[in-house]
Amino acid sequence: MDAQKVDMFIMSNGKFFESHHINDIRERLIALDESKWAILSTTQFKDPTTTIIVSLLAGGLGIDRFMIGDTGLGVGKLLTCGGMGIWTIIDWFMIQKATREKNMQKIQQFL
Amino acid sequence: MIKIKNFSYAPGEHEAEAASNSYLMSLIAIIVGLPLPIVNLIATLIFYLGNRKSTYFVRWHCTQALLAQLSMLFINSYTFWWTISIIFKGEPITSNYIAFLIVVIIFNLTEFITTIYTAIQTRKGIHVEWWFYGALSNIICKENS
Repeated sequence: MDAQKVDMFIMSNGKFFESHHINDIRERLIALDESKWAILSTTQFKDPTTTIIVSLLAGGLGIDRFMIGDTGLGVGKLLTCGGMGIWTIIDWFMIQKATREKNMQKIQQFL
Repeated sequence: MIKIKNFSYAPGEHEAEAASNSYLMSLIAIIVGLPLPIVNLIATLIFYLGNRKSTYFVRWHCTQALLAQLSMLFINSYTFWWTISIIFKGEPITSNYIAFLIVVIIFNLTEFITTIYTAIQTRKGIHVEWWFYGALSNIICKENS
């Protein structure tokens, strides 16, 4: 894939991934076939900032976990009232990382 | 007591954030879980388990935070149940109890301040090793695991 296109993609979507994954993503995108660009450029990634806000406001109900696609963990969190509050606190600090990892899993489908 | 050391690689922005979060989260858990001494340990343990597949820098600092909380559990649990027995069973307040309480308060304050300092430094990507806990973390946490 064209390096300029890849850099543009990284610039606009870099915040959705872990900083230590960026270089790896860039290298693998450059090696990727040009035909994948259309799918890649239209892929929607979850915003870590949005999930942290949801986690702060409705973390006790597991909405943040539902949002990033962890339905099982979301149900578990909902039924245990946010793990008696402890899980809610943990997720305030972990949900952004979890969101970025989910985005990484999503992009790996194309790489 | 606290040593700033060079880590084997320069951690990225998000790695430093996650490592710092392990200390910050333990502080929040202490405050929320008061007076129960187990809540912070449970929270730090779950955080550690959640990050066990993360990078070496994050895992190392999660281990150090967990070990610090683990040692706090024993001393704080003993104090908690001693205090409960004084309040509810009417046991006398002895000089031993007062002395033990002072030691526990000093120990907790030291740990609290050290954790805040470490959280600040780790957020900047600086690798901070505590006395004893740092060496123990080096043994437990391996780079290639």
